[in-house]
Amino acid sequence: MSKKSRRLIRSGGQPAPAPAEPEVVPEAPARTFFFLPDSEPVAVEEAELHELMKLWRHGRATRTLGQVISDSYVTVFSVVLVGAMVISTVINAQQGMTGCSTAACDTGRLLVPTAVLFGSWGLGLGLSRLFGPVLASAAEGSWLMDAPISRHRLLRGRLVLPLLLGFFVPALLTGLVAALSGMDWLSVLAWALAAGSGALAQVALAASEQTHERTWLLRLLQGIWAALAVAILALVVSVAAAWLPASAIAGAGTLRGLVFAVAGIAGLVAVWFVVATLRRLELIRRARLVSGGSLVSGMQGAMFALDLGLIRDILVERRSIERGHVRPTRGHGLGLRALIWRDLQRVFRSPGALVPLALSLVVPYAVDALRMSQLNPLLSGLALVITLVPFLGGLRVLTRTGGMARSMPFKTTQLRTAAMAVPAGLAMLWGLAAAPAFIGISGSGADRTIVDGLIAAGITAVAGVLGAVRWVTAKKPDFSAPMMATASGALPPTLLFNLFAGLDMVALVTAPLILGAPPVWSAALAVLVFIVLRGTFNMDDLRSQQEEAQKEMAAAKQARTEKIKVPRPTR
Amino acid sequence: MARKTPVLKATGLKKAFGPVVIVDGFNLEVAAGEAVALTGRNGAGKSTVLRCLIGAERPDEGAVEVNGIKVSETDPRIRRDVATVIDDLDFFPDLSVVEHLDLLARAHGVADPDGAVDEVLEEVQLVPQSGQLPGTLSSGQRRRLALATAFVRPRTLLVLDEPEQRLDTEGVAWLAERLLAERQRGLAIVMASHEPALVDKVATRIVRLGDRGRVEAASE
Repeated sequence: MSKKSRRLIRSGGQPAPAPAEPEVVPEAPARTFFFLPDSEPVAVEEAELHELMKLWRHGRATRTLGQVISDSYVTVFSVVLVGAMVISTVINAQQGMTGCSTAACDTGRLLVPTAVLFGSWGLGLGLSRLFGPVLASAAEGSWLMDAPISRHRLLRGRLVLPLLLGFFVPALLTGLVAALSGMDWLSVLAWALAAGSGALAQVALAASEQTHERTWLLRLLQGIWAALAVAILALVVSVAAAWLPASAIAGAGTLRGLVFAVAGIAGLVAVWFVVATLRRLELIRRARLVSGGSLVSGMQGAMFALDLGLIRDILVERRSIERGHVRPTRGHGLGLRALIWRDLQRVFRSPGALVPLALSLVVPYAVDALRMSQLNPLLSGLALVITLVPFLGGLRVLTRTGGMARSMPFKTTQLRTAAMAVPAGLAMLWGLAAAPAFIGISGSGADRTIVDGLIAAGITAVAGVLGAVRWVTAKKPDFSAPMMATASGALPPTLLFNLFAGLDMVALVTAPLILGAPPVWSAALAVLVFIVLRGTFNMDDLRSQQEEAQKEMAAAKQARTEKIKVPRPTR
Repeated sequence: MARKTPVLKATGLKKAFGPVVIVDGFNLEVAAGEAVALTGRNGAGKSTVLRCLIGAERPDEGAVEVNGIKVSETDPRIRRDVATVIDDLDFFPDLSVVEHLDLLARAHGVADPDGAVDEVLEEVQLVPQSGQLPGTLSSGQRRRLALATAFVRPRTLLVLDEPEQRLDTEGVAWLAERLLAERQRGLAIVMASHEPALVDKVATRIVRLGDRGRVEAASE
């Protein structure tokens, strides 16, 4: 008996179990953890962090400043040349206008720069409120402001740029207008200084209010300056139309001292608010600082694509976030009527948009008073485009992405037409109010008959609506589409066309009126433009139909070919 | 047993972006009362398929029909029948939550729009936010509003792209029950999802997309 057989007998006939494999216990990986040393951290200065950031950026530059200037010498040369031409033109115009001693020239010389002065104050205040004026980029908000550094010292530098811009831009703009209106150079200096110092004070005030997180005072002042600017422009029109005697307005020379005084006082106010702001700079919340920075970067991105609609979208979205909450209103009607009714409710909800629309009535009357009635449809139509855009918010959402339009059970043409209804109604009311200006009521007498004036006003109103619709529905630049070769490199065609969106439709519709053709031509063009803008010719649908037809033709052709190839039956 | 008439029928869908083919040879039929869940890794082509199904994207090849009508995003019949919740839903910045729902219900001619809006608003738990403007809503609340816009209007087909996104656990559970109820009432549903709980509860069929949107596996 073999050893194997004996083992089997002892185990009762069962084979011996295989030796168990040793259990593998996974080894825990060796981990080490890093902890900061217990010593106190070294104090860090924000200047050091800035230097560090500069150092990182330093190595990333691919070209030196000299190379950049060398590459863009044409631009530099053009800027110098155009700048010289502008200065020469301003000096010539100033000398020419100084010689003009009519009543209209005298009043314009005083009032137009003053209107620009108040306008620049209002604009400075509005922009300051919108952006901050003290702001920080999202990166700075995340990295620098998390560090244990003095936010005051970090933000101190951020106050400088808005203050500089606040002073120089209004000063240059007002000075330019003052010079062009024929003021003497000392008066130009006075008005420029007053505009600059005043706007500087507004920016400083806005910064001070930013530290308190208040805006009511800024809104109030902005409204006052805007109202003053419009009132002064209305005064210019009234004098030019001989509705007011020119003698009622004092000469610029007599007010020069007062304007210098305003500049001085505004400068002192600006210093006061800058000091007050510097004391409280630490208190501005990071969220408020970064939101201004994000707005700037978003708008910069939109500007690179020249997508003005996107810039407006950013601002509208921001305003709605600021507002946050509304009292809900019940809708009315069913189907398309519900859409139109909602647009009407929007007007009542935000009646502020009616103010610029009403103020734009100044334009046709001003153009009439300046005896340029032939150009009145074009200029007034353009003013109407700008003021009608806020009423087309619904159309903007329905056209910028397909999402909301897809949720509505209507054709694109129906949706767009419904979204145009309320703005069209407002434009018609505007046309009625502007009709006297088209008929001609200035000192030079009537330019058109009553019927022709009413028709011209109506066509201008229609052109304004169509221009606003074109602006709102303009597609954003498509960088994947075939590009145009230009001196500045390849550009998508829509990029350039978007710059003129709105202007093109107004020019097209009003062209027959301006050129003296019968108004029926303008009406016909308006109908054509309306048919296109309401989306009758949807390019995607047309392309789809074309492809479908091509497929059917190809299938039919293949079927014919196959028919021919059928072999004869054989016996 | 005779197969039900399909609400949605997609045949031979192909979609490429430049040289990259995203979907190739995709077929799908969904009948009333059926819920199909598209699953698959990121980039498998689920969203592209859904966008082709609703007409937001034009396929290079193939055809899609809803209730026998060729899908076109601008066709009012398709807009009436198909409710969608995909990422491109835009909101009116100046209309509140409740006004959005009211507008959609009225646009679709719902007989009692106020009642429908109140019910849906309560269901999606947005009653406290009814007067808020969309810009101030949290991402989860925005998703609830997007879902509400699909439930406040008549529909025969519901197309959802990752509807569970940004919803809390309770919200996902509610959504699963809601979609199950929709399916049981005879609605056809197509959704892309990464949420197993939602897919298990709602889907009658799971279609797993692999490379180039090709169907890797399909379960009944």
